[in-house]
Amino acid sequence: MTKNTPWPLKLLIYALLLAGAFVMIFPFIWMISTSLKTVGAISQMPPKLIPDPIDFSNYTTAWTKVNFGKYTFNSFFIVVFDMIGSLFSCAVVAFGLALFNFKGRGLIFMVMLATLMIPGQVTMIPTYFIWKQFHALDTYYPLIVPSFLAGAFGIFLLHQYMKALPKELYESAVIDGCSPPGIFARIYLPLCKPALAALGVFTFMGAWNNTLGPLIYLQTKELYTLPLGLLYLKSENVNQALLMAGAVITTLPVVIVYLFAQKHFVQGIASTGMKG
Amino acid sequence: MRKQSYWGYIFTLPFIINVLVFLLFPIAFSAYISFTQYDLFNAPKWVGLDNWINVLKKEEFWISMRNVFYFALVFVPLQSGIAFIVAFMLNQAIRAKAMFRLFYFLPVVTPWLAGGVVWSWMFNYQYGVFNWFLSLVNIDPVRWLDSKSWVVVITSIALVNVWKGLGQSMIIILAGMQNVPKEVLEASQIDGASGWKQLTRIVFPMVTPMVYMVMILSTISAFHAFDVFLGLFGSIQTGIPERNMIPNLLVYRDSFLLFKMGPASAMAWLLFFVILVITLFQRYFEKKWVHYD
Repeated sequence: MTKNTPWPLKLLIYALLLAGAFVMIFPFIWMISTSLKTVGAISQMPPKLIPDPIDFSNYTTAWTKVNFGKYTFNSFFIVVFDMIGSLFSCAVVAFGLALFNFKGRGLIFMVMLATLMIPGQVTMIPTYFIWKQFHALDTYYPLIVPSFLAGAFGIFLLHQYMKALPKELYESAVIDGCSPPGIFARIYLPLCKPALAALGVFTFMGAWNNTLGPLIYLQTKELYTLPLGLLYLKSENVNQALLMAGAVITTLPVVIVYLFAQKHFVQGIASTGMKG
Repeated sequence: MRKQSYWGYIFTLPFIINVLVFLLFPIAFSAYISFTQYDLFNAPKWVGLDNWINVLKKEEFWISMRNVFYFALVFVPLQSGIAFIVAFMLNQAIRAKAMFRLFYFLPVVTPWLAGGVVWSWMFNYQYGVFNWFLSLVNIDPVRWLDSKSWVVVITSIALVNVWKGLGQSMIIILAGMQNVPKEVLEASQIDGASGWKQLTRIVFPMVTPMVYMVMILSTISAFHAFDVFLGLFGSIQTGIPERNMIPNLLVYRDSFLLFKMGPASAMAWLLFFVILVITLFQRYFEKKWVHYD
């Protein structure tokens, strides 16, 4: 903003920002620090920031004995299918809305808004009923199949992007004898890469952090995702070092993805005000 | 825009199926079972308004409503206010902006469960790091999460919620601030406006639409809070006493732990109406302080 902020004010701003940043990342520091402590060191007073000795055994215990290796695989498994399904189906629907005029098109936009407003608690029980009728409880179907049916947020994001592409692209492809599915696959999909990247990051975060879905649908422990595995550990009252090792394993992949995709993610939030 | 309209239906088919199966049917079915006695296994039995009346008669429902209102009342202004201040500071000509933004944003992408378990550990009465900080300045330890007083517990949870959501609100407001034209600020500076005047007379009015959006979104998220309780307490059945419950947890408990789908559905609808009324209420007051153009 202003270039000539007086220096005492600037100093104050740095001090406040640093103090705030410290509060924001302290839980992460404490999570990592505790995860490296021995059982005896956890309850030591005063608590030590840098554990002595540093003990990595909590990670091996979490990974193998508590099955976090398996949970990590499960989480990735669901996330990959969710991403494929959501990117493809949202792009298809957005293409239909952006390029064709048909009766009910306006209604679809209204319904999209409605799906964002109706809270999950209202639809939760009937949705559970549906999957029960399909004998799909305790499988990944309830967590994966809906993402192949295009969510309103993703459609909205891609529609905004496709609408801005020049109409001549479509016209000239039609003259060249290309069918609408061909135009979608060969012209529009490749051109939408930036918007697809943004949606991909949102979908990853949403699926990775989802707790309620797996909590309702998964009973078999072998099927658990990371958040569910962590919840299980927490309810079992295991020692804090092991719990924190589990928390680090749960957090790390999503933080890495965020670091690589920061730009898309932040832009998406700033432009739509929402998160996946 | 093409005239071959059948292609429009073909391409939008996935979403049409989505709406029919996962929106319209659930809404109708949920409304129906709120008037029945239903446990998912036996056929629903019509009981009229019983569920609705019973829910409204129960003390736990009103306690949970009180809690969630208090939760929102602490969380929403605190989060919006701090987000505005941080966004304003990050919008100054300072160094390491990207780093600060990353630090403030990290909790947003962190899974709730991971955030929850580490906060509950830091809140630990005996070995928690917060009570140790307090002991350094000779303050008695606080029972953050297992206090007899619901105010202490809900306030602690609201603080964790601010930690988790601050970055998102901050980014939205920051995006708005970056749209404030530099010329306007430079001109006002030449006219002798102080930094404070610039903030209150130019920057704030111009970002009110963003602040408004942040407040609407965080109000809705406050009434939808669920994961934060799960992460902090682990188990809904054994971990959370009635005095600290919120409606969302009661809906989950009644439906998936007690299989009382009727009361759970009635409660879910009641919560929806409450959120709707609050959102409309906020919209009504929007005209008084939000400036567009």
